[in-house]
Amino acid sequence: MATHRMGESGLSESAPSTSSHLHAPYGVLHGISSPSSSLVNQGSGYYFGGLEEAILQGVKIRSEEAKASLFSGKPATTLAMFPSWPMRFQHTPREGGSKSGGESTDSESGLNTISSKTEAQFEPESESPMSKKASCTDYQAFDQQQRQQLQQLEQDMASDASRCQTLQNQNQSPNNPFQAKRKGDGSKSEKQLDPKTLRRLAQNREAARKSRLRKKAYVQQLESSRLKLSQLEQELQRARSQGLLVGGGRTASANLSSGAAIFDMEHGRWLEEDQRHMEELRRSLEAAVSDNELRVMVENYLRHYDEIFELKGVAAKSDVFHVMNGMWTTPAERCFLWISGFRPSDLIGMLIQQLEPVAERQILGMCELRQSTQQAEEALTQGLDQLQHSLLHTVVGGLDVDGVQQMFLAMTKLSNLEAFIRQADNLRQQTLHRLCQLLTVRQAARCFLVIGEYYGRLRALSSLWASRPRESLINDETCHQITTNMPIVHQSSQNHFSSF
Amino acid sequence: MEYEIGGRWGYRWCVGSSSSSPDGLERVVRMASESAVVVFSRSGCCMCHAVKRLLCGMGVNARVYELDRHPFGKDMEQALMALLRSSSSAASALPVVFIGGNLVGAIDSVLASHINGSLVPLLKQAGALWL
Repeated sequence: MATHRMGESGLSESAPSTSSHLHAPYGVLHGISSPSSSLVNQGSGYYFGGLEEAILQGVKIRSEEAKASLFSGKPATTLAMFPSWPMRFQHTPREGGSKSGGESTDSESGLNTISSKTEAQFEPESESPMSKKASCTDYQAFDQQQRQQLQQLEQDMASDASRCQTLQNQNQSPNNPFQAKRKGDGSKSEKQLDPKTLRRLAQNREAARKSRLRKKAYVQQLESSRLKLSQLEQELQRARSQGLLVGGGRTASANLSSGAAIFDMEHGRWLEEDQRHMEELRRSLEAAVSDNELRVMVENYLRHYDEIFELKGVAAKSDVFHVMNGMWTTPAERCFLWISGFRPSDLIGMLIQQLEPVAERQILGMCELRQSTQQAEEALTQGLDQLQHSLLHTVVGGLDVDGVQQMFLAMTKLSNLEAFIRQADNLRQQTLHRLCQLLTVRQAARCFLVIGEYYGRLRALSSLWASRPRESLINDETCHQITTNMPIVHQSSQNHFSSF
Repeated sequence: MEYEIGGRWGYRWCVGSSSSSPDGLERVVRMASESAVVVFSRSGCCMCHAVKRLLCGMGVNARVYELDRHPFGKDMEQALMALLRSSSSAASALPVVFIGGNLVGAIDSVLASHINGSLVPLLKQAGALWL
């Protein structure tokens, strides 16, 4: 048992005895530690297999360490190099060692004549976890073997664990011939120790070390991105469980403030109620309900809109950026936001086209409304620009000096954002009320339906976009197909987008 | 000491012993009636900038008083805040717009009246807009 403890005893029992040859991976160690009986050129493939194994395990290996342990003959260092290995890996070589120990004496003579070339053939299969010592290389076949193994490693990266398992199982059989080979070739190595050889050995060692480091970095990158992925999935799960992913395609991050989260939920409820209002209006219009009943419904719908503006005002007080950046809307809506909501003049422009039986007086009134909303929007936009410029000026002013005071000043300026959101929502509210004043009840009802339908399609566009097949990114034809398959959405959104 | 303002304001303003507020209000009233359209603003304020741009965009030549640069600005600002009895918990009452000597209000009132279609007739009546 003691003799077959490869990890521990390989180096210490470096006495030139036949039993030491049984510890195949450490035969090399013996070779180096005792220059007279060098097994330098032995079992190169063997060790490369071990290299791959080590890389797959993601264990930290340094060839310098390896060399140091080799030359210093400390078995403990070797063991410490594979700290993440489960015990079974350490047992396996022992078993392999024990088997080979029994057989090597028998097959020793037979395998003595095996050339290093044949060794190369065995390499891809022989991955002994213990043979990591790149210093013990067959320089003739080294480069070729290395390239082979690198390619193989690239392909097999995905199945690390299973591969290690299979490697472990394969360890047992190939052990014997290699140990025997190494033992058998011991006599040859003595002739090949010249300066050229040493230089090539060193180069090979360097190359092996570099490739090992690269592989290690790659594996670590893979592992970290795997961790990140699982973290993201957990966050998503948490967000879903908190009911923040309500409605069509609106995404929520785990970093929502309480005010923002509350507003998102309220907005979700508002959307559901919006659907109910729309359904009621649609049914009433089709059923040709009396004007008075329709008026009541339209007024309810107006109040419904007033509600959301008030909710937005409260939310802006607690989390102004959440409201301003439109994080409570879908991506497509968010793209075309003007100060946290729709642009009234564009809404009017869209609605003018939708009024079928319309009097000239009403058209005039709508055009006037559009003009006054445009002027108001322009004023608010310019006010916001001035806010941005003065904010920039304040922050820049503090770049040279200690910016605490400037930051304080900037904070007070930022507090104006809430006022702008308030005024923009006020503008929208006034626009909707004015609309109801200008139009007949039936026209107003239809307008509300159009507005609701438009936003519903924008939300649908968002979710469609999010779930579109990724091949469309590469294939232009597929992309065109997708767009032509959604003519309704495309047209309706075009109406609005053109005015932007 | 009590102080009353009547006439075009149509209400009474009673103040305590403080002498600054009547001065402030008095000044406000006086300055508001000197021009067709008067805007009380602050130089760095972006909302004031928005109001000014709105009026300019409509072609109105408004008289603007930057209260932060006015010697009695503070008093006037306080008087204006009391006048508005701000429902909005804004830090400042400014900007405040007077048309034809009459108080229109803060920016939300101005915008509301503009959308209503009542702003333009008001401006025409005061002589600030032609045609």
